[in-house]
Amino acid sequence: MIGTFLKWFAGIGLCLILQTTLMHVIAIAGITPDLLILVLFLMGVRNGVLPSIYAGFLIGLGQDLYTPAILGQHALAMTITGSFVGLFHERIIRTDPIIKLVILLVAFIIHDSIFTIVTIVKTDAGGGLLVREIFTRSLPRALYSIALASLSYIYNYYVKPTLHR
Amino acid sequence: MQWILQFIIRHRNISSLFLTVMLSLWMLSSNPARQQQIGRSLTLTLFFPFQYTFQLVTRIRNIFAENRRLRAELTELRTTASFLAEQAAENGRLREMLALRDSVSYELVAARVIAREPSYLYRSLVINAGGNRDIVPNMPVVTHRGVVGKVIQIMPYISLVQTLQDPSARTSVMTSRSRSVGILETEDGGTFSISHRRHADVAPGDTVVTTGLGGIYPKGLLVGYVTKVEEGSDPLFKKTILRLSVDFDHLEELFVLKLSPQWRALTREIESLEMGK
Repeated sequence: MIGTFLKWFAGIGLCLILQTTLMHVIAIAGITPDLLILVLFLMGVRNGVLPSIYAGFLIGLGQDLYTPAILGQHALAMTITGSFVGLFHERIIRTDPIIKLVILLVAFIIHDSIFTIVTIVKTDAGGGLLVREIFTRSLPRALYSIALASLSYIYNYYVKPTLHR
Repeated sequence: MQWILQFIIRHRNISSLFLTVMLSLWMLSSNPARQQQIGRSLTLTLFFPFQYTFQLVTRIRNIFAENRRLRAELTELRTTASFLAEQAAENGRLREMLALRDSVSYELVAARVIAREPSYLYRSLVINAGGNRDIVPNMPVVTHRGVVGKVIQIMPYISLVQTLQDPSARTSVMTSRSRSVGILETEDGGTFSISHRRHADVAPGDTVVTTGLGGIYPKGLLVGYVTKVEEGSDPLFKKTILRLSVDFDHLEELFVLKLSPQWRALTREIESLEMGK
């Protein structure tokens, strides 16, 4: 139990460091993959709703403290995203990889939607910002992250079985 | 109260979501100053253990690095100190030998002991002066403390010195107070004695010097001090035990006495007499 907790804690910490330090190196047109949502997704499908809610909250809080944004914005977005991905716990719902990637895409959209709504509310920006953000930032970021995550799926479902055979 | 707890436990997912969302909304709804305060408090609370650990690790790394540097420095300083102590000791010895050089009228050749006979008692020494320094056999070897022995074998750059500890060495000596003459002998290289005539005036504490007889050691070189006089049962002789003045265990620098021409001539005459015999 403690080992699992420490493993996830270390994983989240590592992703937080990578996200804030190295991800800009592989940015394409200013779009970087979001490792923190990926790790939150993994945690949700592996451990269920409750751990992913708290993990999401803590990851978001960490982001809030690290980046000079509105305090609580990341925390709220990541908490709700965590609760969403936790619904697809592997013990409850067996999904194939493609569905998982779709869930991940939806998780990205949920996260960015909440994040943008909070921005709109706090800064009195127009409602058009939401649509613009989703199409110009969320979807490209989600697709890039999914592409990155797909590599591990391809390895797990296609390369690894071939190697074992 | 109990039913609230039961509700929270039963619906822990919803409760947790509600709690965290409420917390997030509370933070969001705070004014910027309050947000800053919360952020600062959270940063200190959440990141302090990591910062502390990081600082601790850095400090430990620095301590290790400093430790390594200090160890290297310590080794270097110890080596230097040891070298300086050695130099100081050598300086003292050389000063004493310099005083000897000034006090005697013979030509002295300074030399260092470079090897000893590998036995409990050092009966012979190898010194770093040989034919290259005009050393010849039977030249006396001394230090500022007294007689060491004599050169018995010469090589181009080194010489072999027979010390007084060698049981085969026979040296004519006398007490400086009463001028009682005898032959310095040793059986084991550790205890030294002189056979004096029974009525000779010898007492513990007397200084023993060379007599100058025998053609090897010049007269008056310090050999040792009488420690005991054993009367024994012999009606003609008594045994005088003495302690040599030279510390053979700590012999490093010494002088070879280049004999003056008359001594060398006498040596040749003795040798020729022995040849004739």
